Amino acid sequence: MARVGVFVCFCGANIADFVDVPQVVEEAKRIREVKYAIQYKYMCSDPGQQMIRDAIVQYKLTSIVVAACSPRMHEKTFRKALSDAGMNPYLLEVANIREHSSWVHQKDKKAATEKASDLVRMAVAKSIANEQLHEISVPVTKRALVIGGGIAGIQAALDIADARIPVTLIEKSPSIGGRMAQLDETFPTLDCSQCILTPKMVDVASHPFIELIPYSEVIELDGYVGNYKARIRKKASYVNFKTCTGCGACWQKCPVKVPNEYNMGIDKRKAIYTPFPQAVPNKPVIDAEHCTMLLKGKCGICAKVCEKGAIDYKMQDEIIEREVGAVVIATGYDLWDPKPYEEYGVGRFKDIITSLEFERMVSANGPTGGLPVRPSDGKVPKSVVFIKCIGSRDEAKGIEYCSKICCMYTAKHAILLHHKVHDSHAYIFYMDIRAAGKGYEEFVKKAQTDTGATYLRGRVSKIFKKGEKLIVRGEDAQIGQVVEVEADMVVLATAIIPPKGNPDLARLLGVSYDKYGYMSEAHPKLRPVETAKAGIFLAGCTQAPKDIPDTVAQASACAAKVCGLFAGDTMKKDPMISKVNNEFCSGCQNCIKVCPYQAIVTDEIPIGHGSKEMRTVARINEGVCQGCGSCVAVCRSMAISLAGFTDPQIINEIVAI
Amino acid sequence: MKKLTYFPGCSAHGTSEEFDKTVKMVMSALDVEMEELPDWNCCGATSAHTMSETLANALPLRNLILAEKLDNNIMAIPCASCYQRLKVTKVHMDDNPELAHKINSTVVEEGIYEGKVAVKSMLQYCYEDIGTEAIKSKVTKSLTGMKLACYYGCLLTRPKAITQFDSPEYPVSMDQIVEALGAKATEFDYKTECCGASFSISNTEVVIRLSGQILEMAKESGAQAIVVACPLCQSNLDMRQPDIEKHTGKKYDLPVFYFTQLMALAFGMPKEEMMFGKHIVPVDGALANIGKIDPVPEKIKKTKKAVEAESEVE
Repeated sequence: MARVGVFVCFCGANIADFVDVPQVVEEAKRIREVKYAIQYKYMCSDPGQQMIRDAIVQYKLTSIVVAACSPRMHEKTFRKALSDAGMNPYLLEVANIREHSSWVHQKDKKAATEKASDLVRMAVAKSIANEQLHEISVPVTKRALVIGGGIAGIQAALDIADARIPVTLIEKSPSIGGRMAQLDETFPTLDCSQCILTPKMVDVASHPFIELIPYSEVIELDGYVGNYKARIRKKASYVNFKTCTGCGACWQKCPVKVPNEYNMGIDKRKAIYTPFPQAVPNKPVIDAEHCTMLLKGKCGICAKVCEKGAIDYKMQDEIIEREVGAVVIATGYDLWDPKPYEEYGVGRFKDIITSLEFERMVSANGPTGGLPVRPSDGKVPKSVVFIKCIGSRDEAKGIEYCSKICCMYTAKHAILLHHKVHDSHAYIFYMDIRAAGKGYEEFVKKAQTDTGATYLRGRVSKIFKKGEKLIVRGEDAQIGQVVEVEADMVVLATAIIPPKGNPDLARLLGVSYDKYGYMSEAHPKLRPVETAKAGIFLAGCTQAPKDIPDTVAQASACAAKVCGLFAGDTMKKDPMISKVNNEFCSGCQNCIKVCPYQAIVTDEIPIGHGSKEMRTVARINEGVCQGCGSCVAVCRSMAISLAGFTDPQIINEIVAI
Repeated sequence: MKKLTYFPGCSAHGTSEEFDKTVKMVMSALDVEMEELPDWNCCGATSAHTMSETLANALPLRNLILAEKLDNNIMAIPCASCYQRLKVTKVHMDDNPELAHKINSTVVEEGIYEGKVAVKSMLQYCYEDIGTEAIKSKVTKSLTGMKLACYYGCLLTRPKAITQFDSPEYPVSMDQIVEALGAKATEFDYKTECCGASFSISNTEVVIRLSGQILEMAKESGAQAIVVACPLCQSNLDMRQPDIEKHTGKKYDLPVFYFTQLMALAFGMPKEEMMFGKHIVPVDGALANIGKIDPVPEKIKKTKKAVEAESEVE
């Protein structure tokens, strides 16, 4: 005979104000199997848990119902209380009378109370059919794969490797460093970006626990948390990195010039190149799309001048495999193309540039020697208009969201402009100034007071040319008038967008992504670092626009998650997963089609005992199954059951109401 | 031989006679047979749509239904305002069945709208259905030497969702047509700014200011004349030019042509038939530029190094 204990929580006033808790307790006591029922202000607190522990022992309870908040919140807490009292933790049921009753029925206490009592009755009925379950152990491969070598990937890799866990870091371009390597100084302290980034890049290259594979991309990921197998394509670099010394003779002599991505196309690089002088690894690669030798079979100058004979035009892409236990996605961001702003003359006026182009110009290692210059005539601009929210917060032309960093970097640009060109003036058109962050508001103030930047609240409606000047016409909403500013140069703060390849990568890895193409986190507040797929984590702008401090923090959080995952030799996993009863399985494989986690495979078993003839059945991979129950629903022979949600449990619940 | 339904609108029979006449001239030169819509009525213009939505749609709808009784599948309209009204109603009729039913019930004696006829501005027809290549092939007297600011005004390409033609902010169709005629279209940033439209009568100062800015920028762009595809734009920029000059104290001397006048000219048609006498700003000064060739800027001698650098890029 079952002996159920019921514990009803007030949740302070959250439940008690809208649900008559004592009455719920009284109702519970009327159920035959309930041997003990009690209420308490905070059941999750230590005295509350103690009540549960004591009652289990004193009343020899066989299952426990806690009527409180969502099981997402405290199921683990209460399970632990059961364990502490020597009871199997899976004999717990949580009746969610907060989110499902008190919060949503605040206008009708009587009905809310009735619903709460129903929920308790269901939970009691279900708990009677609960079985003892035990956590599953899964072996773990202690190696992490980090995809993307920007500051997010670098930080995650270093933190994981510092915990003496091997890391494979792959980067699609020839060097790590990412967007941060393109920046000049960083807000809000104006640290030189290169000075704080390049030492970390060197650390990555020299770390004994990091395997750096540049110029590569992941093409396949199989397996499950703790036991992934990644296939990686190493793109042909046409340079043997083992013999190359990075002397530079090849790229000095290469006759082919290509717009330089690192400098946003402001200058040219060669077809054999390193992206920038501080690149890691500092070895060149040949850009196969532009190399004359690879395209037409003529030239070969780089091979002639290479003293080490490191050039190999016959090199092929190479596929390598790595077994890893966890994956960190850190693919960064792209910038929105401002072409749809036709009224600004984007594309027609050379002196309208984007913020990252401006950033490259003012960079000490930039193509213009650290000075902003007009692309049209090379003159140094004195009057510069910065326009924020280009594409961001613009549903008509761009995207709805705020790109988060533009307010701050535009303030930085105003300061840098003032540093580089003392007699210049910055005009900033803005919608709002979003400067939430440590030292951020002060930094914007500095731009306004120290450099005298003119902040104009309003949108720009038109840009047109008058002589050599660009006339920027916009609204100054604070004086309610249309204003026109004569500018030598206009800088557009273009929106952050996810990298174009994100959706494809997400599908390949089996994680979800949002309507824009950002990777989706498991929970926006409580699990911001994990994806819904166990063992795959997110760092940096691949998830949403972020500045450097937030990116680094998230990357370190990823590292903590990976280290936590790898803390033991095996991983503990919730036992609430599906199980196939081979006797009933007809091998129809419908479950395989609906499983969102690719957790089900086919297996061959003998038709009968000792028989040599085989038949196909479904087999569930315990490591991968997340217990969603989709397979249970489609199984027409009722061969699959989900532990913790078996048919008797569910039927009991239904009968109870 | 292409066939076309022609909706002239009231201005074609009045202020913009020269537009009407030259449209007919160039269409016949381009082998397009134009059939004027029989028994057409007023499009409603500005007045109807400020008073009543039903009326603003019912007036154009009657014309749309009449057009379906002819065999042609395109109706072209010289006046930008008529075009806009008819196109707006067409989009409503095609996209909003509920509203379509309501409007149609008001003019049901004319028939039921089926949506068979496309509505285009004359500019759009020339650009999309005739094409710059065909126009170029008819040119016998190239307009080389003319620098023209093409002015589209606010209705021909906007709103984009309604017109579905060219760019709403920086259209280029007329520019390409005048270039096909041999002229040079200047880089003109005010091509879609408002001219003041019908405020010309009720609040002339507004037109003086707005059209004044357009003239100013056209001059700034180096143009010798302005080209338009809208009767009201033409009248504001041309007729109000002396007032604007008085107001600003500047001399613009920018005649305002309909693009079809220039097409007729380039097709070698007799100048007398283009009704240049109707223009307020005399056209002769601007037309005198035809045939004049800009002095070719002396080619900067390239150093050997520069040539090498360029070839490397290739």
